[in-house]
Amino acid sequence: MRAAKIPMIIAGLALWAGQALAQTSQQPYSADGLYNLANSYARAGKPGLAVLSYERAALLAPGDPDINANLAYVRASAHVPVKPRNPFARLAQATEPTAAAWLGVLGLVLVGMGLVAARVARRFLWIPRGGILLGVALIALTASNAVLLWPRMHEAVVLVDQTPARVSPAPMGDTAFVLREAESVTMTAEHEDFMLIRTGGGLSGWVARANLGAVVPPVGAEH
Amino acid sequence: MRTGSMRWIKIITAIVGLLVPAEYTLAQAEDALAYETVEPSRIKVGESATIRVTSFGRLKDVALPSIPGLVFEEAGRSQGLEFVNGTPIPATFILIRVTAQFPGVFTIPGLTPTSQSIGLEVVKGNEPNPYAWRSQMPAAPPVVTAVLPKGVQLQAGGAAFVHLAIPTRAIYVGESVPVEIELGIRPGIVTSVNGLPTLNGNDFTFNNLSKQPERREQSIEGSEFVVLTWHSALAAVKPGDFFLSAETPLTVKISTLSASDRAVASRLAWPLLQSMYNGIAPKDITVGSSPSELRVVQLPTDGQPKDFGGAVGDFQVSSDISPATVAAGDPLTLRLHIRGAGNFDRVDSTMLDHLDHWKTYPAKSSFTPSDAVGNQGEKVFEQPLIAAQPGEQSIPGLEFSFFNPNTRRYEHAQTSPIKVTIAASLASGSLNALTNAQSLNGVPMTAATQGLRPDHPLPHNAVSELRPLYFRGPFLAIPTSLALILAGSWFAVRPNAARAASKAAARVLAQLDAAARIGDSSSFFEAARQTLLQTLAARWQMPADQITLTELKARLGATGEDVGRLFVLADEAKYSDYQPGGTDYQHWLRVVRSQLAGERG
Repeated sequence: MRAAKIPMIIAGLALWAGQALAQTSQQPYSADGLYNLANSYARAGKPGLAVLSYERAALLAPGDPDINANLAYVRASAHVPVKPRNPFARLAQATEPTAAAWLGVLGLVLVGMGLVAARVARRFLWIPRGGILLGVALIALTASNAVLLWPRMHEAVVLVDQTPARVSPAPMGDTAFVLREAESVTMTAEHEDFMLIRTGGGLSGWVARANLGAVVPPVGAEH
Repeated sequence: MRTGSMRWIKIITAIVGLLVPAEYTLAQAEDALAYETVEPSRIKVGESATIRVTSFGRLKDVALPSIPGLVFEEAGRSQGLEFVNGTPIPATFILIRVTAQFPGVFTIPGLTPTSQSIGLEVVKGNEPNPYAWRSQMPAAPPVVTAVLPKGVQLQAGGAAFVHLAIPTRAIYVGESVPVEIELGIRPGIVTSVNGLPTLNGNDFTFNNLSKQPERREQSIEGSEFVVLTWHSALAAVKPGDFFLSAETPLTVKISTLSASDRAVASRLAWPLLQSMYNGIAPKDITVGSSPSELRVVQLPTDGQPKDFGGAVGDFQVSSDISPATVAAGDPLTLRLHIRGAGNFDRVDSTMLDHLDHWKTYPAKSSFTPSDAVGNQGEKVFEQPLIAAQPGEQSIPGLEFSFFNPNTRRYEHAQTSPIKVTIAASLASGSLNALTNAQSLNGVPMTAATQGLRPDHPLPHNAVSELRPLYFRGPFLAIPTSLALILAGSWFAVRPNAARAASKAAARVLAQLDAAARIGDSSSFFEAARQTLLQTLAARWQMPADQITLTELKARLGATGEDVGRLFVLADEAKYSDYQPGGTDYQHWLRVVRSQLAGERG
């Protein structure tokens, strides 16, 4: 009787969470919308904004072949080098982050219920044990997806060609090197209107925030 | 005979008596006063100079000195009269030609016991006089004749002078005015200038002197002077009447002759004076200018602007901005140019402290002087600005206040406002920018974009954030809560106690049954007794060693008697090899099973 209450509680909590997420959602982003926007920028001759939108679309639909193809195409047209991803990263990132998040929750539920069931069951112990294994696999998938996506939370795309990366966060600071439009960089720090970035080649410099587009914009900034 | 001898002795004595004073006189004549001159005193390598030895007495041959780099040879000898103060005095002259083989400064020792050593300078072909002030400037123009400035006196025996030129008008506190320091030196006498001129005055601040002095050659009072001019600027820190002077360290050649020698030299007129210079020794001295009066007055307080920062001078201001058109978020540079003459070290501007819809940064300044001392030039203030909003905006004019000593009043300069056009930021990319992107197009589709895959149908599903769910705080509350609930459930749900007990009872009964089959009464009864004791102790919540026959009977009634009997048989089987029959085993098995099942009999 007591064990029967647990799934009900879980179901109620999930229902509450779903309603809460649905109420706060303003639905401004979609993979297809970002993809179409990126195509528009690409046709307008703005590879920086195009790559930024493709990257954002790829976050929502990492397995979409059109997004990946056009992203690679625009980068190649802009002569921006692309670092190839290893097979494990491709496998882990093939799952949409949203789906991976819910799969992780499901895996957690399976593991928990399996442990409880194995404690009380008299027969068919392979069933809870199988549930535990499946749950662990789902949690591992979610964790891998999150670990591989974490660096992209700090990625940005250069929007203006010949953007100077300065040695200090000041408009009159000396230029350390110059960034190409549509180049992807990693943001490591910020100071007022400047971001400290690191390129794929390991170079670091301060870039005006206006010249960068964060792949994952801060909450509230994207509206 | 004796008389004749005595006479000859007297004659010889008389001769000797006459000759001794003569020899003494001749010996004294060899030590007579003599002097030497060399003409010219500075020659080039390969050239020759002439040493003239003048002796006022009998002069034997002089021994030519041996000095490396110089070759001496006697050129002639003569006798004549030397006129001293109009009086002819007999003298002997010896001319010696000296030829230089390599450059240097040579000291030629006196060729007679009473003459002083003389100096000879040998220079390379194109090298200036090493004793003169060194200069990299091209050849000076012909020497012009000039007079000493008013109030300036020659010093160091007429070898140098210092002149400080300052404004004759009254200056204001903080006003920067140019000053000039002129140093006149006679080449050959002044051997070196040992430092820059210094100004005496604690109530003034001085700019650094110009690095390279201006150089000119002038003939002053019949002597050739090299005049060096340094420029500087001074500013008074408080009002009052002050006296300023300048001084400069020098090294000059001075005479080492004693006072008696100089007295003799004065009688011998110029040839001995020349000898005095040739026999010089260097000495460090300091020559200074006569004090110059300067009046300093306070700045007027009437009409002083609030933003007056102490700038005194005559200035003009202007401003510009670049670039004139940028996107929102891109930096612009606003510049304020202040040109003119005055105390640029007090010229300052905070530019724009605050400007609506703009982000302002601290300004930097740079000064480009147009004169040697920085009294004239241009100071530029640069301030980065970043526009926060797109559209055409106007940057207000910049203001600057200063005191103009020429008009003797405060002046307020202001630049004109500047209009700039701010475009929309490129970083504001979102779905809303789709239409903007199309309008921004303006560029025909190129061949490079023809390889793009086509657009997708209009989306149906959208999310509120690009950040994945597992990186959002509200979402993480869900798995966290579930984990807590499941962990609590795991701890709350305990394994079935009855099931565990039944498993243990089954194991004990199987053990007893096995012992019964092989007829091991000792093991059977001992195991049965221990099992019953543990079971009853757990059931009654009391130690097993405190369960007595009385307790059994009281709690179990008739069954207690059977249990008590089983305990007795266990002792018998253990100590007397009691062997119950096959039927008895089954009986005792039932007793144990019933107690394990919780039956009370």
